[in-house]
Parts: sequence; structure tokens; C-alpha cells
Amino acid sequence: MTASFGRRLRPTSAPPLDDDDLLDEILLRLPPDPSSLPRASAVCTRWRRLVSDPGFVSRFLLRHRLRPPILGCFITDQRRATVSFVPTMEAPNRLPAERFSLQLGDRDRFSLLSCRHGLLLMFLPLWSKVLVWDPVAGDQHRLDIPPGFDTKKEIGGAVLRAAGAVRHFQVVLVGRDKQNILACVYSSEAGVWSKLISTPLPNPFCYEFMGVHPVLVGDSLHWFINCGFHKILEFDLHRQILTVIPGPLDEFPVGISQILVMRAEDGGLGVLFKSGCNVQLWKRKIDCDGEASWVLGRTFDLDTLFSLNSEEIKYMVILGLAEYNSTVFVRTVVGHFMVQLESLKFNKTFETNIWNFHQPFESVYTGETSIGGGHNGAELLHNT
Amino acid sequence: MATREAGKKMIMLKSPDGMEFEVEEAVAMESQTIRKMIEDDCADTAILIPNINSKILSRVIEYCNKHVPTTGATGAAASDTVAPAALAEDLKIWDAEFIKVNRATRFDLIQAASYLNIKGLLDLTSQTTIDTISDNSLEEIRSFLSTKNDYLPEEEQTIRRENQWAFQ
Repeated sequence: MTASFGRRLRPTSAPPLDDDDLLDEILLRLPPDPSSLPRASAVCTRWRRLVSDPGFVSRFLLRHRLRPPILGCFITDQRRATVSFVPTMEAPNRLPAERFSLQLGDRDRFSLLSCRHGLLLMFLPLWSKVLVWDPVAGDQHRLDIPPGFDTKKEIGGAVLRAAGAVRHFQVVLVGRDKQNILACVYSSEAGVWSKLISTPLPNPFCYEFMGVHPVLVGDSLHWFINCGFHKILEFDLHRQILTVIPGPLDEFPVGISQILVMRAEDGGLGVLFKSGCNVQLWKRKIDCDGEASWVLGRTFDLDTLFSLNSEEIKYMVILGLAEYNSTVFVRTVVGHFMVQLESLKFNKTFETNIWNFHQPFESVYTGETSIGGGHNGAELLHNT
Repeated sequence: MATREAGKKMIMLKSPDGMEFEVEEAVAMESQTIRKMIEDDCADTAILIPNINSKILSRVIEYCNKHVPTTGATGAAASDTVAPAALAEDLKIWDAEFIKVNRATRFDLIQAASYLNIKGLLDLTSQTTIDTISDNSLEEIRSFLSTKNDYLPEEEQTIRRENQWAFQ
């Protein structure tokens, strides 16, 4: 007897591009560039129906989540209470600057805490709230800071979407009380904050977040903290444990002007030290016994890389880090540069006098797939 | 007919045009669909693969032979002696050669990879298709994939206008 696939498969003689399931598989592999889905939508009504399907959009987002392109940068303006967008991609992937902008109220002094998976997290100290903003959808969620946090002290935070989650998000807040570093996790799915998670302060007198934006490595978020000596605060999302781990050097190194936590080349935890034009990249290694140590990796000089003279290197500052792309934005007097830290490929992006922190926006953009205005797309489809 | 040859379990795959292919079970199990049949004990005899002609089926088997974990018959390059990175690089080069086929064959391979649920082959064939069109104009994409533009002119105009930045 010959076993047959009859009951298991749906044999069809239709060519693959006429089979919705197969075309769906093919279109899923479009690059995660912003123009991919709008352009695919314009091929024909059937392609648009497929790429506008919420299930397809979810799969597309999840497939590319770990390799999002850098769409541009968010720049905050406290005086005007605005967050504005500067695109950095070339056409046809250059999203208009006005596509993403946020105007906060007069009382909304704010600081940007984190950006990940297409969301921004801001701290609104006067309201004792955090704001989660989805620039693509235009949604805003304001959450009360849970009791126990001293909002007069510095608050750190991270926003992310759990593995497999497209719509729901999580917020992790870290702060302190008198003796402890505290963390609390909000889940938009449950709509509640978790219990407080704490670990003793390494030094009760001094504590601040440095290079405020945390980096997600594996299942853990990492912030640089200054508590008399430099340490890294690690929050394990899976086990919900807060730990203070040593940085690469015991003493705060003399001459170091900037420190960033980042992803190392091997996907583990890394640290960037910038001293003048010199950049050192460190990575944390865990040996087979589980012992951690720091290893100095690549070092390079930004002035040599950019071919800048001694006048042009003045006021050189790293303004932001794109964690998934391991790319930093560097401001110089001759303009802004984007540098990929593994390949050291760089390009000049834009010129501005703005010194503020730049938050790179790494995201898979699927915003306008229901084109035809979003609301009338379906009608357009049926008219054909 | 499932047989044993040199200690390896063999499986017979039949294409609808009457060709039979005797392959190692491990190679056939690169297809998740066949794996399920074998695990469910539905495949103690020959397996008929519908809609995949012998030419395409032989290419699919060739792919599975190359990609089966190195403990299989093709495991001449045992994983003990070759670094995983080198092995992956070798597979990448092999894949690039394997997929140098005409469009019709590639589409047949997509169809076969989907039916047989062979993720690597589906990735390779679909990604190659996307890569060949992603830098092209809409007109070129339509012509390359024989897809008819069924938008009314004013609809297409609306779509382009509302996403102007994506068409620059």
C-alpha cells in the first residue's frame, strides 16, 4: 500500500504566486524597510489584501523584530515640550519627519527613558507618571508610578514587547527608596504593576543612572549606574531578579567622558568607554563555570575614522545608541555621523546645532499598509 | 518499501509520474510532513508525494541530502572535524549554487518546500524570489511575476499619493 499525503496536504496545481499561502510566505521575506509593504500593496489588489492582513503584519513584525532598521532619531525639546523625528534613511525609505511627532502639555516636563520595539517610554515627574508612546499607531498610555518609588530621585525605565507579543507591551521601572534599588514591571495585557522587586543599594549616598537608556541582552535589561563606583544594574525579566554586577573596571577611569552599555558583537553584554576621540569596546564573558569577566575588545579613534582635524574634533559627543544595530550617533562640529561599531562603517547623517540626546528609532515600520487612507482601504479593495 | 541498507533505514518516495526514490529515513525526515507520517506510523510502505514531479522531487531530495545533520549518509564531513561556522559557510555556498535555477523551477521548489514543510528550502526559495524583485520598480515586479495590475488608474494614484515617500 502506498501512503498518500491526501489527508495532510492540500495539493493544488495552482502556481505558487496564485496560492495565497505561498505568496504570503514569499512576501513575509520582504526586507524590513519602511517602503516594503506600501510598495507591495501597490502591485495589485491581491497583494494589498495579503500585506494588510493583521495576521500578516504581526508575522512580518515578529520576523524582523531582532533586525529592525534605524528609521531615524527622536530629539526632545523640553522648552517646547515636543519630541520630534529626524529621518536618517535614504529614499524610498525616508519617512517624512512630520510622520512622528509628539506635543506634550505645558506641565509635561519629561525625560526619555527608553525606546524599543517601536515604543518610547517617558517619565513625567510632575505627574508621577510614565508615558508610553507608540509613534506609528499614535497611541499614548499614561501609567501612574507605582507606590514605593521615590520620584524625587532618579527613575530609570525600559519599554519592550514580550517575545511573540505584537500589541501588548511591558514597562520596567527602576528607582530607589532609602536602602534599596527597586524594580516593578507593568504588563499592558494584565493592566497592572507587579510587586516591587528590590536589591540593596551598593552605596546609599550616591546613585544615579548614567547613559539613561537600558540595553536588552538576552532576557535581561542593563543600566549603567554610578554608586560611587561604576556598576551595571541588571534586571532579569524572566526570573524577575534585580542584581548589581561589576563593570569592566573597578575605578571610574580618569579621562573617560562617556560610558554606554551595549550589545557586544557576540550578542552578550558590552560596554563602550569614550575618552576624547578614543573608543574602547569591552565585552563580558561567562566561562564554563559561570564566572564572569570583562575583556577589552576593539579600540579605535573617531578622529582617524572620520578624518577630522584637531579643530573639528572639539565637542565630539556620542548622542545616542541604536542597540539592535550596534550603531552610535556622534555629533561633531562638522555634522552628525552614524557609526556601526562592528564594521566601523559610518556615514554622515544630518547637520544640526542640537546637542540634546538623540534617541535612535529602530523599528519595523508597517504603519501604512492599509493604504488608501487606512479607513477607506477596504472600500478601495472592493471597488476593483 | 522501507528497507535497511548498511544499517540505515530507507524509505521509498514516489512521484505522481511514477518515479521511485529510495532515500534514507533521516533525509526524508528533513520534511516535517514526512517526519510526522513516519512518527505516526503511517509510512511503513512507500509514500506518494502528490503534485511534485520527479524532476523537482529529485532536487528536493538533493537539498535534504545536503542539509541532513551530519550523522546521516552524507555526513562525510563529520561535525567533529569541521567547525560549525565552516560547515554553515559551506552550506551557504552550496545553497547559492543550488538555487541557480530558472523561475519556473524555483516556483515549483517553493511549492514543494511548502507541501513537504521543509523550512530551510522554503526560506531559500522564497528569499531568493524576494531578493530578485525587491530593488525593482512596480512595473518590473508585475512583469517578472506575471502579476496583473488590477487597480483603476485613480486608485493607483491615490495609493502613490498617500505614501508618496515610499515611491520616490
